[in-house]
Amino acid sequence: MAETVTFTINGMTRTVVVDPALKLLDVIREDLGLTGTKRGCDNSTCGTCTVVMNGKAVKSCMVKLDKLDGAEVLTIEALAKGTELHPIQQALIDAGAVQCGYCTPGFVMELYALYEKDLDASETEIKNALNKHLCRCTGYEAIWEGALLAQKRMKEQT
Amino acid sequence: MGFQTIGKNVVRPDAVDKVTGEARFLDDLRLPGMLHAAILRPAYAHAKIVSMDTKGAEACEGVVKVVTGEGCDIRYGDNIKDLTPMAVDKVHYIGEPLAAVVADTPQHALAALEKITVEYEPLPVYVDALDAMADDAMLIHEENGDFWHLPTLSPKPGTNIAHYYHLTKGKGEEGFEDCDVVVEGDFLYPFGSSAALEPHGAIVWFKTDGTIEAWSSSICPFIIREDLAHAYGLPISEVRVHIPEIGGCFGYKSDITVEQTVAYIASFVPGRPVKWVASRKEDFTSTLTGHGIQTRMKLGAKKDGTFVALKTAVYHSTGAYADTGVNITIGAAHNSTGPYVFPNCDLEGYCVYTNTTPIGAYRGYGHQEVQFATERLVDILARKLKMSPLELRAKNYLGDGTVNALGERMWKTNGDVRACAEEVIGVIYDGDKPAEDDDYLYGRGFAAVMKSPKGAPFSTKGCYMKMNHDGSVSVNMGGAEVGQGLRTVVKQVTAETLKIPPERVHVYREIDTQFSPYEWQTIGSMFTIQGGRAAVRAAERLIKTLKKTAAQVLRCDREMLDYDGEYVFLRSDPGVRVAVPDLARGYIYENGMTVGEVAQSTSDVRLPRYSNPDEKGQGNMGVTYTFGAQGCQLRIEKKSGKILIDNFASTFDVGRVINPRQIRGQVVGGVLMAVGATLYEELEYDEEGNMLNPHFFKYHLPTLKEAPTQTVSFIENPGEIGPFGARGIGEHPVIGVAPAILNAIYDATGIDFYRIPITPEKMKAALQGTTNEVQHG
Repeated sequence: MAETVTFTINGMTRTVVVDPALKLLDVIREDLGLTGTKRGCDNSTCGTCTVVMNGKAVKSCMVKLDKLDGAEVLTIEALAKGTELHPIQQALIDAGAVQCGYCTPGFVMELYALYEKDLDASETEIKNALNKHLCRCTGYEAIWEGALLAQKRMKEQT
Repeated sequence: MGFQTIGKNVVRPDAVDKVTGEARFLDDLRLPGMLHAAILRPAYAHAKIVSMDTKGAEACEGVVKVVTGEGCDIRYGDNIKDLTPMAVDKVHYIGEPLAAVVADTPQHALAALEKITVEYEPLPVYVDALDAMADDAMLIHEENGDFWHLPTLSPKPGTNIAHYYHLTKGKGEEGFEDCDVVVEGDFLYPFGSSAALEPHGAIVWFKTDGTIEAWSSSICPFIIREDLAHAYGLPISEVRVHIPEIGGCFGYKSDITVEQTVAYIASFVPGRPVKWVASRKEDFTSTLTGHGIQTRMKLGAKKDGTFVALKTAVYHSTGAYADTGVNITIGAAHNSTGPYVFPNCDLEGYCVYTNTTPIGAYRGYGHQEVQFATERLVDILARKLKMSPLELRAKNYLGDGTVNALGERMWKTNGDVRACAEEVIGVIYDGDKPAEDDDYLYGRGFAAVMKSPKGAPFSTKGCYMKMNHDGSVSVNMGGAEVGQGLRTVVKQVTAETLKIPPERVHVYREIDTQFSPYEWQTIGSMFTIQGGRAAVRAAERLIKTLKKTAAQVLRCDREMLDYDGEYVFLRSDPGVRVAVPDLARGYIYENGMTVGEVAQSTSDVRLPRYSNPDEKGQGNMGVTYTFGAQGCQLRIEKKSGKILIDNFASTFDVGRVINPRQIRGQVVGGVLMAVGATLYEELEYDEEGNMLNPHFFKYHLPTLKEAPTQTVSFIENPGEIGPFGARGIGEHPVIGVAPAILNAIYDATGIDFYRIPITPEKMKAALQGTTNEVQHG
């Protein structure tokens, strides 16, 4: 039953023996021990498990492993450089967008995929991206402000 | 007042961990040798277990043990010991643990679960309290009345009533004889789920040395410790409970629930830690849910609008076990006055067993559910009196010198509801309401709210504080951080009291009952008040110790010394001083001789003068009431029935704002949660007790695009108890949301709704006159 997949995760090539019935989230959390990516539901609704795969934000709880071979995956663990936070991470902190923090890595990765693709993303595009995620604590206000702040700062840096 | 740290947007100590994914939640913990449990849930909500065959599961790959409830005699709970870790010969609700498989991986455990076969004898199912209270209703628990319970509770043996609470004030129901006008209504706040993004879970390890070690995403480590010790006959000291980061709570991860089930399972595999984490479906069906409260209310007043009498009957469908729901019933009943004076009250609460998932706290203890009724009915009364609902409220507000239903005198230090109301009215009723147009109807609504505390005789919070010899300070407490930001509060009040920068204060992360000071449980929006005060008290004691040592060094009386954060100095001659870090380990002279003592302190804080309810149901909750007001402006799209909230305003008298950004976050998040309950969320059961929507794609949580613009402000009448006058805020923002929205819907449409949620379909049906759930004005 077990199969082997080779893919790049956070810049490192890994070959993992997997049960094909599992999903990318299981491999990330259980096989690779990268627990920053969270499980919040089991059917692609909440967004806590969001990672970036081949440049796109995906909900890893629904990604089948046959899609994984040769893929490039980025998880929350890849964003900070040493102790220097990514501007998206810093902006979410500065805006007060962190409460329980369980949804936070998913939001960070969603914004990362969006801004890497298009730093000039419109407010509608940002809203559409954030709307794929659930947060039960913040009421989204601070997440929205953090998203705009991150975009502004990233633009200033480029 | 010149504060250094209070009132500043200090960044929460866990922020970096949480944006990097380094924060460790329960499911992130991996222990050597750890096994995984999967739990079987019944096919019926109420049935006898005729037989169970586990052989097929035992033969599956990776399976270590299959566990059933056969012969289990554990009954647990902290209010009523009616809970069992696993069903014994009957199942009582659809999410009840029925059997479990322990295996090497979660997948193997889940696969083996499917091989367990169960034969049931179905029994009548009661989803609603009123049905379960019928004379001919079958008993969900034959043992009702025999379960150990707190002496303040009154179960009714031979019925499904787990507790009957009755409060009378003044002439009680006879007060209606003095009324000119009476209005009545029947209101429903249906089942809901706190639905934190992190599902509940636990790890329990029965160690070979006979002790128990547990981890849980719970806010009640000390309850868990005591309850496990009781169940397994251990000294409390032999049970150690750890709490990692918690991914949201809102009430349902309180008390003790899943931990006893995981412990029971783990007790069959001593020596190996066993982990269980709820799937999202299990989080809905098997962990605590919320609300389930029907309120029948009758309100009487004089012609001039003075309130005279209130009669409330709370029918609480509390679920299959009442341990966690009983305090919600009580809280609902005595909070049903809202923020108003009623000279005469007759307030009843029926906590009723039903074949539904047990109810627990949900951002409050019945506050939002019952004040939904109060605030709707006050509007309805105003119409009958032909008065402005805002003026009617203003005539009757609780305030300094008045007495509430429990018989407690209110003080200015409890906050000023009038000032909150004026602030919200200024926002919501500023200018004229837009006139109806082709697409929309427009409405404005208001609600004033009261939040009582939730006390207990021993509801204490402790603090350990130590100063390090570089002058930095470490604070250790037992308050569970669920996202609300209590560790930031501890940091700020400690820094303020010690007159040092917040960066010099390190606040605890993990809670571990082996090292953490005792804390009853982190519930009821009480941490800022009590925990904050415990931190202030510990800091003051620490300063006292510093002064005591300095008095030896400076050879003077302690009373002659002052402390400014950097030095302890002679008040009369500030040049005579010792630097604070030099006093942290006692004072060490050049020759190595040391005097004084290490600068560390402990403290604890309880609710002042809390007392149990007396024979009239009255008592003292601990005098930390908080008042507020909320209101909204909304539009209703005629075509779709969609309700669009253009602005939602909230003002609370919180005594003192410790951290403006965090407190706004609490209010904005709380309001949206209650907008969810008002417009979208309802946990639905069919007649057989099956839960129909235990998934996020069926149980709709509001998303970013559905979040209204919010106006939030605070009044600061300092309280006497909390640090620097602060009161709680966590649960408060949900209380007035549903009535404010429904009052605005009436303002827009002339239609009275009595239950939530108001989905577009329901709104449209009401506009078209095709529903009997509403009344047209």
